[in-house]
Amino acid sequence: MRRKSAFGNRLSPLPRLINRLFLAAVFLVMFIPMWNVAVLSTSTELSASAYGVRLWWSAPPSLEGYAYVFRVVNLLRPVLNSLFVSVVSTAVQVVLSSLAGYILIQREMPFQKSLTSFVFLTMMVPGDLTLVSLYQLNKRLYLVNTYAGLIVNGLISGFCILLMRNYFLSVPASLAESARIDSAGEFLIFWKIYLPLSVAGLATTFFLQFVGKWNELMLPASLISDQKLYTLPLVLKSMVMDSSSTSGTIPVPENAVMATVVISSLPLLLLYTFAQRYLLEGMTLGADKG
Amino acid sequence: MEQKARFWKRVKKYRFIYAMMLPVILYYLVFSYVPLILGVITSFQKTRMIGAPAFAGPANYAAVLKSPVYGEAFRNSLAIGAGTFLVQFPLGLLIALALNEAGSRFSKSLVQSISFIPNLLSWTVVGGMWLSMLAPAGLVNQIARAVSGGSAPAVIFMSEQRYAQPIMVLSGAWKGAGYYAVLFLAAITGINPSVYEAAAIDGASRLRQIGTIILPSLRPTMQVVTLLAAMGVLRNFDQIYVMGNASIYPKVRTLLYLIYQDGIVDFKTGQATAAATLILAATFLFTFLTRRATGYDASYT
Repeated sequence: MRRKSAFGNRLSPLPRLINRLFLAAVFLVMFIPMWNVAVLSTSTELSASAYGVRLWWSAPPSLEGYAYVFRVVNLLRPVLNSLFVSVVSTAVQVVLSSLAGYILIQREMPFQKSLTSFVFLTMMVPGDLTLVSLYQLNKRLYLVNTYAGLIVNGLISGFCILLMRNYFLSVPASLAESARIDSAGEFLIFWKIYLPLSVAGLATTFFLQFVGKWNELMLPASLISDQKLYTLPLVLKSMVMDSSSTSGTIPVPENAVMATVVISSLPLLLLYTFAQRYLLEGMTLGADKG
Repeated sequence: MEQKARFWKRVKKYRFIYAMMLPVILYYLVFSYVPLILGVITSFQKTRMIGAPAFAGPANYAAVLKSPVYGEAFRNSLAIGAGTFLVQFPLGLLIALALNEAGSRFSKSLVQSISFIPNLLSWTVVGGMWLSMLAPAGLVNQIARAVSGGSAPAVIFMSEQRYAQPIMVLSGAWKGAGYYAVLFLAAITGINPSVYEAAAIDGASRLRQIGTIILPSLRPTMQVVTLLAAMGVLRNFDQIYVMGNASIYPKVRTLLYLIYQDGIVDFKTGQATAAATLILAATFLFTFLTRRATGYDASYT
C-alpha cells in the first residue's frame, strides 16, 4: 500500500489536471466507436443510414437489426457453430495441456528434456506461416469443410502447456513426495494435489483459448467454404464485404451488420466481466521474459 | 551394462506417462512438424494440378524474390507493422503511466477496461466497426461535416490509397494500445513502494520519480514488447482480410494475405510455400536483430 499522504508521491496540481484530461481523451477515443456500434445496431434501418452524427437515437430504438440477422441471414447457425467449435476445442485443450504440462515437470523421467524441447520447438514456428501446407495436409486428411477440421487444428498450444507447466512447478514438490511415500499412484497425485492447486492456471488456459478460438479467422477462412459450417467471424466478414462492395448483391443493412458486431462481441465482454483476472494474468504471462 | 538396465527400468516405470503424452506428440508431429517439412518440400516443386510433382530447384524462390507484387507486399507489411508499433508503443506507455497516477480507483479501472477490450475482440469486429465509421455516411465523415458546418464533401476513405496505410496503422494501434498498457502497468505495479518513499524523502517530485524510477524499471517490458512486435510484423493477415479491398490493395496487401491468396485461393502452392519459408527465415532474422538491438539477451539473467 502506497501512502497517499507522503509528500512528493502525488502529482502536483497542473500535471494532475493534464493527466485527467489525457485519461478522459483516451476514454472518449476508445468509447465513442463502441457506443456508435451500440446505437447503430439498435436503430431502425432508415435512421441507421441517415446522415448526422449518430451517437444518440434519432428515432425510437428498435431491435430491427437483430431480427433481420436471425430471420434473413440465419445467424443462429453460425453462432451455434462458433460456440460448439470453441467450447469443444477449449475443453480438449485444457485437458491435454494440463496432462502434458504435468508430464513435463517429471524430473526423474527419462527423455524429459527432449520431450520438453520437442513441445517448445513448435512455439518457434508460428502456425500461420505454414498455412498453405497445413491446408494441403487437411485436404489429405479429409478435414476441409468439417467441424473436425475446425476443432483439431490448433488443438494443443505450446503456450498453454508452458502455462500449465509453470503453475505445476509452483506446487511444492514435498506435497507430491509425501503422497508418493504413502504409495499414491501418479495419476492420483496429479488429480488430487496438482490440479486443485492450479485451478487458476486451468481457468486462464480455458479463457485464453476460448477467446482465441472464438475470434479465429485465418484457419476457418482457409478450411471452410461450405456456408453451413461458417463460424461467426466468417459470416461477419462476408457481411462487411457485402455492405461495402459495389457488386450486384443486395447489401446487408447497416443496423444488421452492427447487430452482428454486437453479437460477436457479447460473449467476450461477458468473459471479460467475470474472468478479467484470469484473462489479464494470462496475457501478461504471455509477454513474460524467460 | 547395469546402468543401462537401470535406465530402461526407469523408462518402464514411466510407461503410462509416456502413453498419456502420446496424443500430444502425435498432434505435434502431424500438425506442426509435418506441415513445416511439407512446406519446405513443396517450395522446391513445380505446381501442378495433376500428376506427380516435379522438382523445380530454387525457381519458386527466384520467382518470389523477383516478383514486384511480393516486394510490394513486403514493404506494406513493414510499413503497417512498424507504423502500428510506433503509434501503439508510446500510446500504451502513456496510458499505463497515466493510469498509475489516476486519482480514483473507479476511473482507473474504467479507462483500463475500455482500452483493453478492443484487444479481446476479433479483427472482424474491430474492422467492421472501423469500416462503418469510415463509410461516406459514417461517424468520421459526419463529424467532419458537423465541424465544417456542412461544407466538407464526404470522403470515401476506404477507396483512397493515400489514406489506406494510415487507417490500418491507426486502427491497429487503437486495438492494441490497451494491451501494451496492461503489460506496462503490470510492471509498474511490481515496483517496491519503498523506492518511491525514499525518493520522496530526498525531495524528488512525482514527475521526477516517473522519469527516474518508473521508466527505467519498464526496460524489460519494453524489450519484450518490441520483440513480440518484431516477431509479428510479417504476419498481419486478419486486419487486411477484413478491411482491405481491391482499390487499396497496392498499399495494404501484406505478405501473409498474399500467401493466402496465392496458395489457397489460386493454388499456386510452390510460390506461396517458398514465400512462407522466406518469411519464416526473415522473422527469425528480425527476432535476432531485435534481441541484439534492445540488449534483450544481455539483461536476461
